[in-house]
Amino acid sequence: MTDVTCFSADCNKSKLFWGLLALGGLVMLSTLSAYFYIEHHGHIVTGMNNQIVWGLPHVFAVFLIVAASGVLNVASIGSVFGKKIYKTRSPLSGLLALTILAGGLAVLVLDLGRSDRIIVAMTHYNFKSIFALNMIFYTGFFAIVGLYLLTLMDRKLKPWSHPVGFLAFLWRLALTTATGSIFGFLVARAGYNSALYAPMFIIYSFAYGLACFLVVQTAMYKWNNIQIDEYVLGRIKNLLAVFVAASLYFTAVLHLTNMYFAKQWDFERFILVEGDTYPMIFWLGQVIVGGIIPLLMIFSPGAAKSPARILIAALLVIVGGHAQMYVTIVGVQAFPLAIFPGYAETSSFFDGVVHPYSPSTLEVMLALGGMATTFLLTTVAVRILKFLPIDKLDQKH
Amino acid sequence: MTRYAMVIDLNTCVGCNACMAACAMENQTPVWKNKWRTYVHDKEIGMAEQVRRRFFPRLCNHCSNPPCMTVCPTGATYQRADGIVMIDPERCMGCRACAMACPYDARYEVSYHDIKEGRAFYGEEELQRDSPGMDKCSFCAHRVDKGLKPACVETCVGSARLFGDLDDPNDPVAQVVASGAAQPLMAYLGTRPNVYYINDMKRRG
Repeated sequence: MTDVTCFSADCNKSKLFWGLLALGGLVMLSTLSAYFYIEHHGHIVTGMNNQIVWGLPHVFAVFLIVAASGVLNVASIGSVFGKKIYKTRSPLSGLLALTILAGGLAVLVLDLGRSDRIIVAMTHYNFKSIFALNMIFYTGFFAIVGLYLLTLMDRKLKPWSHPVGFLAFLWRLALTTATGSIFGFLVARAGYNSALYAPMFIIYSFAYGLACFLVVQTAMYKWNNIQIDEYVLGRIKNLLAVFVAASLYFTAVLHLTNMYFAKQWDFERFILVEGDTYPMIFWLGQVIVGGIIPLLMIFSPGAAKSPARILIAALLVIVGGHAQMYVTIVGVQAFPLAIFPGYAETSSFFDGVVHPYSPSTLEVMLALGGMATTFLLTTVAVRILKFLPIDKLDQKH
Repeated sequence: MTRYAMVIDLNTCVGCNACMAACAMENQTPVWKNKWRTYVHDKEIGMAEQVRRRFFPRLCNHCSNPPCMTVCPTGATYQRADGIVMIDPERCMGCRACAMACPYDARYEVSYHDIKEGRAFYGEEELQRDSPGMDKCSFCAHRVDKGLKPACVETCVGSARLFGDLDDPNDPVAQVVASGAAQPLMAYLGTRPNVYYINDMKRRG
C-alpha cells in the first residue's frame, strides 16, 4: 500500500520539502519587510488613502477568510451529511480551514495601523461592531475546528466527530454570514447596504473553499504519484460546478436587485459599464474567468478523467474569487457618494469623482504573506501528520 | 442635556484656510502629509451657467448616530454625553474600519513616522500625542471643557463658523438650525450629523 504520509522523510523528498519551506520563507520575509515599512510610515506610502481605505491586502485577506470557512464544507459533507468520499477528506479539509484562516488573519493583522494592539482587540469588545463579532467567530472557529480535527484523527474521540462536525458546520455558516455582513452594514459606501452580502458570501465560500481544496489535493496526489479515482473526481467537480453556478446566480441577483432601486443606478452603471477598470475586472475576472470558463471546463467531455483540467478550473475559480473581492472591496470604495444628490460636482477633496487607486508593490508584498502563511503551515502539517485522502473502492457510495 | 453642533455659513467663508492653520496648531495634525482635522475644499458645483465655485469647510460631523462608533471593534471611538465623538488613542488599533464607515472622509491615520515628524515640527516638549492610531476632529473638546470655542471657530475671519448647543433654545446655533436655514450633509444616510451648512445658492461666480 502507498505510504499515506505524503511529505514524510520516508518519501525521500526532503530536499523538495525544505525547498518549499525556503520559498515560503522568502515570501514571508518580503511580507514582513513591507509590514515594518508600512507600520512605521503609515498607509500613506501605499496606494491606499482616505477614500480607498482597504486595498489589495484586504482583497487577499478576505478571500482567504471566506475560502477558509468554505473549505471546511468538504468535511461537513462527510461528517454532517454522511457522504463517504468526503469523509476521507475531512482531516485535510479541517487542516486547510485552519491554515487558510490563519493566512487571512495574518494579512489582516499585519495591515493594521497598530498590529501590536491586537491584544486590545481580544480584550475590549464593542458588541455593536460586526468586526468585533467577527473576532469572536474567528477565534471560535480555530477552537471548534481544532477540536473537530482532533475527533477526526484520534480513534478514541471518533464518536464525537459527528456532533462536533455539526457544530463546526453551523459555526462556519455564522462566520461567513458575519464576514459578508461587514459589507452589508457599511452605510458610507453606495455599493453595499444589501442583506444579500451574507448569503452571497456563504455561496462564494463554498466555491472558493472547494477550489482551494482541489488544488491542494491535486498537489498532494501528484507528489505521491496517486491517481484520483474517476468517480470521486466526477463527484467533486460536479459539486464545484454547482457552487460556481450558484455564485454567479447570487452575483446576478445582487446587481439586478440593485438596479431595481433608482438610487443605485449610478453605482451599477459604474461597476458594470463605465467605472474605470472595475467593469473589466468584474466581467472578465469574476464572471468569465472565475465563472463561465470553469463551468465549461468542468462540463466538457472527459473532464472527470482529467485531473489537470479540473485543477485549472479550480485555479480559475480562485483567480475569479480574487477579482470578485477586488470589485467588492476596492471597486465599491472607488465610487463616490453623492454629497449633493442631483448636482454635478468636483472638488479638491475627491467629492463627486472616482477615487483613484493603484496597488503599490508594498501592498503586493504584504498581501502575498497570507498565502505564504497558509502554504508554510499546510506544508509542515502534511509532512508531520497523515492528511492525504485515500479512497477505498467500497467507500464510494 | 447639551448637544454640541456647528453651523458653517458658506456665504461668509472666504477660503482663507485660517481655520485649518488654527486647528493644525491646536491639535498638532500631520500637515506634512496634507492631513487635517478640518479642511477647506475649493469646490465647483452645478453645470453649465449654473456652475458655482464654493469654499467648503469639512470636518468630523459628530453624528448623533455615528457609523464610525458602531463599527469600531474595540470601542476606541466613543461619544460623550454632549455629543462629541472622540477617539481613545490607547484603544485604537488602526484597523481603519471607522474610516471605511465614515461618509464624510473625516478620519486619517497617524503613524510612528508622524509622531517623529511631529516632534520636529511642533516641538519635542510640546507634542501631546505619543501614540499612533486614527485621528479626527474632536470639536476641540479640551477647549470646550474649559468654556472656550473650538480653535477653528475662534479664528474664522468671516465668522463663518458658529459653535453652540442645539439643546439650548436661546443659542444662536440652535435657532439657525431650527429655522431650517442650515442643512447637514448627506442626511439621507441616517447618520444625523451635527455640522450644518448655510447654503449660498444665490451667489454666482
